[in-house]
Amino acid sequence: MLRNMGKIVSSGLVMAIAVSALAGCGGGQKAESTTAAPAAESTTAAPAASDSKETEAAGTDSSGGGVEITWWAFPTYAQDGDNPAGTYEQEIIDAFQAKNPDITVKLETIDFTSGPEKITAAIEAGTVCDVLFDAPGRIISYAQNGKLVALDDMFTDDFVKDVDNEALLNSCKSGDSYYMYPISTAAFCMAVSKNALEDAGAMDCINLEGDRTWTTEKFEEMMQKLYDAGYMGATVYCSGQGGDQGIRAFVTNLYDSSVTDNAVTTYTINDEGGVKAMTKIKEWVDAGWMLNGSAYNGGEDVDQFVAGNTAFTTLWSPGLASQRAETLSENGIEAIALPFPSEDGVPAMEYLVNGFCVFDNGDAARAEASKKFIYFMCNDEEWGPKNVVKTSVFPVRQSMGDLYPGDEEMKFYASLTKYYSPYYNTIPGFAEMRTYWFPMLQAVINGDSEPQAALDDFVAKANQSIENAK
Amino acid sequence: MKKKTRLLDQLSMLLLLFLSIIFIFPFYWILTGAFKSQKVTVTLPPEWWPMSPTLENFHKLFQNPALQWLFNSVFISGMTLIIVCVTASMAGYVLAKKRFYGDKLLFSIFVFAMALPKQVILVPLMKLVSFMGIHDTSWAIILPLCGWPFGIFLMKQFSENVPTELLEAAKIDGSGEILTFTNIVMPIVKPGLGALAIFTFINTWNDYFMQLVMLNSRTKLTISLGVATLQQEFSTNYGVIMAGAALAAVPIVAVFLLFQNYFTQGITMGAVKG
Amino acid sequence: MRPKKINKIRMRETLVSYAFLAPALLFFLGFVLVPMGMGVVTSLFRYNMKGMTFVGLSNYIAMFQDPVWQKSLVNTLFLVVGSVPLTVFFSLFVAALTYEKHPVTRSFFRCVFFLPVVTGTVAVTVVWKWIYDPLNGILNWMLKSMNLIQRNIMWTGDKKYALWAILIILITTSVGQPIILYIASLGNVPKDYVEAAQVDGANDLQVFWRIKWPSLLPTTLYIVVITTINSFQCFSLIQLLTSGGPNYRTTTIMYYLYETAFKRFEYGFANAMGVVLALIIGAISFVQFKALGGDVEY
Repeated sequence: MLRNMGKIVSSGLVMAIAVSALAGCGGGQKAESTTAAPAAESTTAAPAASDSKETEAAGTDSSGGGVEITWWAFPTYAQDGDNPAGTYEQEIIDAFQAKNPDITVKLETIDFTSGPEKITAAIEAGTVCDVLFDAPGRIISYAQNGKLVALDDMFTDDFVKDVDNEALLNSCKSGDSYYMYPISTAAFCMAVSKNALEDAGAMDCINLEGDRTWTTEKFEEMMQKLYDAGYMGATVYCSGQGGDQGIRAFVTNLYDSSVTDNAVTTYTINDEGGVKAMTKIKEWVDAGWMLNGSAYNGGEDVDQFVAGNTAFTTLWSPGLASQRAETLSENGIEAIALPFPSEDGVPAMEYLVNGFCVFDNGDAARAEASKKFIYFMCNDEEWGPKNVVKTSVFPVRQSMGDLYPGDEEMKFYASLTKYYSPYYNTIPGFAEMRTYWFPMLQAVINGDSEPQAALDDFVAKANQSIENAK
Repeated sequence: MKKKTRLLDQLSMLLLLFLSIIFIFPFYWILTGAFKSQKVTVTLPPEWWPMSPTLENFHKLFQNPALQWLFNSVFISGMTLIIVCVTASMAGYVLAKKRFYGDKLLFSIFVFAMALPKQVILVPLMKLVSFMGIHDTSWAIILPLCGWPFGIFLMKQFSENVPTELLEAAKIDGSGEILTFTNIVMPIVKPGLGALAIFTFINTWNDYFMQLVMLNSRTKLTISLGVATLQQEFSTNYGVIMAGAALAAVPIVAVFLLFQNYFTQGITMGAVKG
Repeated sequence: MRPKKINKIRMRETLVSYAFLAPALLFFLGFVLVPMGMGVVTSLFRYNMKGMTFVGLSNYIAMFQDPVWQKSLVNTLFLVVGSVPLTVFFSLFVAALTYEKHPVTRSFFRCVFFLPVVTGTVAVTVVWKWIYDPLNGILNWMLKSMNLIQRNIMWTGDKKYALWAILIILITTSVGQPIILYIASLGNVPKDYVEAAQVDGANDLQVFWRIKWPSLLPTTLYIVVITTINSFQCFSLIQLLTSGGPNYRTTTIMYYLYETAFKRFEYGFANAMGVVLALIIGAISFVQFKALGGDVEY
């Protein structure tokens, strides 16, 4: 009897536990859905959002109250000398705050490896920043998930006319609204080490005239010579996620494939050219011309290149060139930037667009302050051009003109603009697709699956990711 | 026959020494690597000892809030330790010494939950923590770790040692429940508490996963997370990373070497019942 | 029928007990049970940044059909099956060799093998990353200068070695505690038993199996359970060394869960994985208790 009593009481307890657990759970979700609602609204109806913004802005006295916003910065800017990450960014902030004393900007530096996951975690936790400086790939996926504030009011007619590049402007859009305010752009390319090439007698394989375009045949010849002279070509880096666009462009260029179709609606990299490229890459790895890079991420590949351990890298850009300039000169290595080799000698370049987005933290005053800050960073007479030059890329606003007069190297990078291929980083499910890309490469170069099968599988999953995101 | 065993003994000893080298080497490599310049760290054959030691790595390291990271780690581990010791000793005592409704069931729930890796409740935990508004603070790690019932289990085992007669005598003397606990139970379970403290401290210190998910801001990071961040930022600039690793490891290793016996006792008592 | 008085006493005891239990229960409820309940519930939803839709068991079905999940289960089991016996054997070996030695020698070895634990997982991992580095690492250099290998091996990126490379680090960070435990329990084996057996003419091996091993069983059980749970949770090694590559060869369930939640934003799916992982670990621990610890009461 007593035993039974005990059981009854204890089971009652369990019930209580269960109920309180459920209650806690429900409560949590309810609170969440109320905060989520305005965010969802703002994606579908941008004007409505800006309405509420005005009413709220009236409530919070923007002149005297003071707004604090946070800015999360990837290491995009090259720092001067030995300065730690964020030094230059802080200078921008100081300049901005001097002109806008009512706004305080807090800086948080993040890195490319764990940064993206941190943003995701923070979005879920509601502790995400206000301003993020990134590229469309991630930004548009946040927009598609309704986490951003629409920036349509920043895209004035003058601005749009000044940019005058529909592809680029489209990359800042999700649906009918703009979510990323672009500042600069540049092509991704590759680089070779002049030292290694000269030593291997392979300088005649590359082309330094005009746009420096070259063919896959020449490229193979170069690798052969490098190998014969005892050099390791490059790593086929495929760990983590960073820098995956470099290797994708390398693969598609070799035998005239493309990641997606021209309309950017479906993945096409499993075509004949793509398969041939992957087959070749596997052969090169097996022959010791390139290194199986399953344990290297993009950054580490560049590290190996600037340290002189590898003779070329498939991940290069004017920004990287300026960030790594010091290490290169310390190691006495001269890097030559080149477009990717292709069968017909006409490359199709991928490019990055740098821009800012504003997260919807449910506070119109903060969103407004963030926009002000973004506007300052992009368009201030002094800091606008400076911020572009600091990342060694090109302004999206043509009125800024030539920021690198007389710089031959920058002239080359600028010339790549005419080889731009369709921009697919804003395709729905882009973030998910990226998680399949490196495993596919790893599968092929480790001999787990045949190129055709691996690419077919990748394309199937990638196309599925478009569906999943819809 | 005897000779053979001696030879075997010596061979095993040799093997043991060889294994020791493998275990010591990473630590040694951290310490020496911290003083090597970027160039030297990638040079092969390696410099076994930094021939021209440099403080450059530490200079770069301390451009980050590295001491703050260290402090955060100490704060998080210390706070968790205190809370766990208090709550677990109280809970362990009643579970061991009192018969009450639901005791058996409660204990089995605790034991089951102990085997549960806390990471499996990761996403809900994050939601909860952000609901409480403590995401990206030290408490986001401290509080969830305090819920982990290992301490209760351990303290129950220790509390079994408290002689029931003693408790009854106290009751007859009219001692209140709280006084009984602080004056009679606590002194007896003290060694167990020491064991729990060491366990909790090391486990919390090493709980990288929780820190990774819960912390964002650079000044809020723990030293483990800070070192991981350095590794991501400096990728193959091993000197700086080793400097960070040294900063993370040396204090704990020093404490361990100083209080070695407490550690071993604590760990032994934590596992071997009674 | 027992007198009601006892009942009253027991009620009082219950009140007092729950008062003592309250702080612990509060934490346990709030940060273990509630999230667990939330996890189970949300695993039935298609749950991502956009919101939640009830999908029943389809996350579970998709998971069991997901080849990557299957791979990560196999990898995780490999780590568990590899690390548990090796850890037990290794620590028993070290403990057996050292427990009768001079206290200084004994504590020296204890320290050495405990060193990776106190160094901290992340610090140990980053230094191993350097050691394993295919181009700058000391391991390739050593093997090459000993003429054991011709070409640089990418330890953490080659499908033949990656999981083993992880396993080695995992073991170096797992044996510290077991060695200390075994040294202690070996020291507790009553000397008279051993001597009596030796007088009876038992050889060392017989003494070990008949006399020492039975008294080591509870310790072994504890070690097996702890190592199993730890190996199941292997995450930081993967995240810092391989990111799950090459081709998911080192993806553990823990890592895949993390990737699903934070790279693909599929929280419901991740929670379903968490639930299944918890069940697997629960079941394995239970079996281990039953199989090894018939006479051990916990």
